[in-house]
Amino acid sequence: MKEDTKDLMWRALRRSTAEYCEVRIEETEETSVRFRGKDIELVAENVSVGGNVRALYRGGWGFVSFNRLDDLDRKVDEACAQAKILGEKLNKDIRLYPVDPVVDRIAGNFKREAFAVPLKEKIKLLEGYNLLILGSPEITSSSVYYFDRHTHLHFANSEGTYIYQEKMDVGGALTAIATKDKLTTQESARFGSNQDYDVAVGLEEEVRDAAKAAREMLHAPVVEAGEYTVILDPDMAGLFVHEAFGHLSEADSLDEDERMKELLKIGTRYGSDELNIYDSGVEGPNRGESKYDDEGVPMQKTYLIKGGVVVGHLHCRESAAKMNESPTGNARAINYRFPPIVRMRTTCIAPGKATFDEMLKGISLGVYVRGGYGGQTNGEMFTFAASRAYMIRNGSIAEMVRDVNLTGNVFATLRSIDMIGNDFQFKNGPGGCGKGGQSPLPVAQGSPHIRIQKVVVGGEKR
Amino acid sequence: MKAVLDEALKRGAEATLISSESRRTEVSFDFNRLKNVEDTESFGLSLQVIKDGKLGMANSTRAGGEEELLEKALSVAEFGSAVSYEFPVPEPHANPRMFYPEVTEFQLDDMISVGEELVGFIKTLDPAINGSAGVSRNMIQKTIANTRGLVASWNKTSFAVSAGFQFVEGQNLLQSWDWDVSCSVRYDLEKIKAKIKEDFDLGRKNVPVEPGVYDILFTPMGFASIIHPILACLDGRAVMRGISPFKDRIGEEIFAPSFSLIEDGALDDGLGSQLYDDQGVACRRTPLIDRGVLREYLVDLESARRLGRKPIGTGTASGSRPNNLLVIPGEKPWEDLLRGMKRGIVIDQTMGAWAGNPYTGTVTGNVSLGFLVIDGEKVGRVKDCMFSLNVFSHLKSNLLALSRETKNTWQAILPYCLVGGVSIATRTS
Repeated sequence: MKEDTKDLMWRALRRSTAEYCEVRIEETEETSVRFRGKDIELVAENVSVGGNVRALYRGGWGFVSFNRLDDLDRKVDEACAQAKILGEKLNKDIRLYPVDPVVDRIAGNFKREAFAVPLKEKIKLLEGYNLLILGSPEITSSSVYYFDRHTHLHFANSEGTYIYQEKMDVGGALTAIATKDKLTTQESARFGSNQDYDVAVGLEEEVRDAAKAAREMLHAPVVEAGEYTVILDPDMAGLFVHEAFGHLSEADSLDEDERMKELLKIGTRYGSDELNIYDSGVEGPNRGESKYDDEGVPMQKTYLIKGGVVVGHLHCRESAAKMNESPTGNARAINYRFPPIVRMRTTCIAPGKATFDEMLKGISLGVYVRGGYGGQTNGEMFTFAASRAYMIRNGSIAEMVRDVNLTGNVFATLRSIDMIGNDFQFKNGPGGCGKGGQSPLPVAQGSPHIRIQKVVVGGEKR
Repeated sequence: MKAVLDEALKRGAEATLISSESRRTEVSFDFNRLKNVEDTESFGLSLQVIKDGKLGMANSTRAGGEEELLEKALSVAEFGSAVSYEFPVPEPHANPRMFYPEVTEFQLDDMISVGEELVGFIKTLDPAINGSAGVSRNMIQKTIANTRGLVASWNKTSFAVSAGFQFVEGQNLLQSWDWDVSCSVRYDLEKIKAKIKEDFDLGRKNVPVEPGVYDILFTPMGFASIIHPILACLDGRAVMRGISPFKDRIGEEIFAPSFSLIEDGALDDGLGSQLYDDQGVACRRTPLIDRGVLREYLVDLESARRLGRKPIGTGTASGSRPNNLLVIPGEKPWEDLLRGMKRGIVIDQTMGAWAGNPYTGTVTGNVSLGFLVIDGEKVGRVKDCMFSLNVFSHLKSNLLALSRETKNTWQAILPYCLVGGVSIATRTS
């Protein structure tokens, strides 16, 4: 699949009997390495080659994915035949938002190619981190994980678009594990990039800090359940905005549900004048960003909330057409095995004016959350787990607490953000977002510290 | 396959090669209508080599990529993990029933009809409801061979039906779903409809819940969301590294006598059943927790060797992976357990319970779909609250009962589970 890929795809697409048809062909080489404890547990090199065809006819989508690339014509026929079976039952006039056909070739231009670094060098680097973790006081074990991926992605559709994009993804987690009296605690230094292997280099300070936190957590009490004023660090605030409002703004869950549309109607107020939320594919470089999405639509920066008020949604071409809004370049598929659906890229809370000290002032009892293991939403409620947390007592950071999970109603919590910091940061980790069985899709977040009133914290009730 | 294994031997390596080929067709409905058909043909090769006592792994989906695969596996083996095991010689295997031709023969039109019936029912609940459904059939063929003479192949099918809804009223979002999954074509649409209707009728009535300590009846789906710390701590590698609190506790009663957890890779109609695991060990039935007593870990060849245990057919090159997990059911119907609750909460769906550090046993999650129970009756939906328990201590000291009914939750086959003393946190104003 080199020079002739475009012609091969276009030739197959000429067979399409659907209203719209697209082909994706992808080749990814991946290296993964994992240390656990003193042992190297996994060194693997993987090759993933495959493709898919998606076809639309009278409102019905046919989708075929495959690993054998030798009969693309037949795959186009199959996807079109499936779309017709559905379309003839549905007979719906569902259009895609028109976009100009584009022929483009995006070479990586990476800062430092992870796939060009010899395996020996990567293992030496990771071994160094592993030894640093294991040499730390009270640390009993470790988990050091690294991956890099190099992808050649070809996309063509029946409207005359052909795009080749070269992509890189690198990430990892360097985890210190402490065990004492049947209690095990852990904390990680995490990294990720779509541009630069060097994000994996020079993390010794972060590793020492994670080991220290894991050790301190051994002696920390479980947080007492209750309702608190919380301050989220930029890492956790980014996770919060992704879970709490990003998913809700994905228009494929709004476009045929009148009540959901009403809930997310442009002009609805959900926060203070200072609250600005956006999702962007062009902040760069962040994981999940690229020039085009998986429908060949240029990525862009899309405001979801401006001045506390809903101003936009995240779209694929189908949802944009249904809601008569412009596509935003948010149609993404985790790989060729899945059709593109509306997904986030880099989701951010824009900076405000408050300093961290100003946020602390006036909190007699609260919780300061640093970093998160992950979160989840069901639309109206969200939850996330803190990786590190401290009590706030009388305006000062106090003792560390563990097992901190936060939950809330999305709408009430957005309204309860009463301070937004001036210390905006992007966060790229090794994980990703899950939706519709597609996980983990690379995404990033950005935010300053934020303060929220009345957040429910789960834990033991004393 | 033989050519690659022979070449590996020539190059001084032992090897295990796994080939899998599958075809999956899924029909999905969304917003009360047929949405798409997905047809996935997958092919994959996975090669493990041991050279000079070190393990190298490579995977590929490139058809005809065997030579490339061998080169990659040998090149990474230089840096790979030092292993103390050899790939096993062939041993007899069980013959679980896991292939049903009626799955492959089930027609696309019939799949569409099943989905239409479910979505048609959901639409009758309210004009503003957003109903969804999915019907899928799957067939996989797997072959494993190694340089010590093992060659085995098997076919497996599965068929799944699912349905659910989202309903918005003001700023209230109610979601629920249910499913049936099996290796054969076996589903009960009336049961799925009944669950959806009950959740819709009851879920629209929000009731306040005070923070405090409650008896909780976890449905099988709710139960599935709280057992992950047990699995993480049963993992042989976690035990080997000393981070599992179950280390050195084989033979010890660590849970209540009514709690038994089985790994069964040879289960008839088991979604995870197979003849051999990914290291070539025959799959079998193994009690992990037997009437509360820790009997076995989930081991791979390396952790089994280092812990002095025998492999149980749960190995992969990088650690253990259970095939089918079962919690042995209790004797009472789940509705009797519900009726016996004075004041408690039924938890069906959770959010975020998977996050956090599994080795502490603490599970905290949002009650995504839960119902307050007063005097044995579900009285309404509880929202905006979190539950928190320690699954190690609660299933030892606070396990009140397990139901006789079980459900395949994809991850495990589980009963309803009634647990006392669970902390509930909620907004106070």
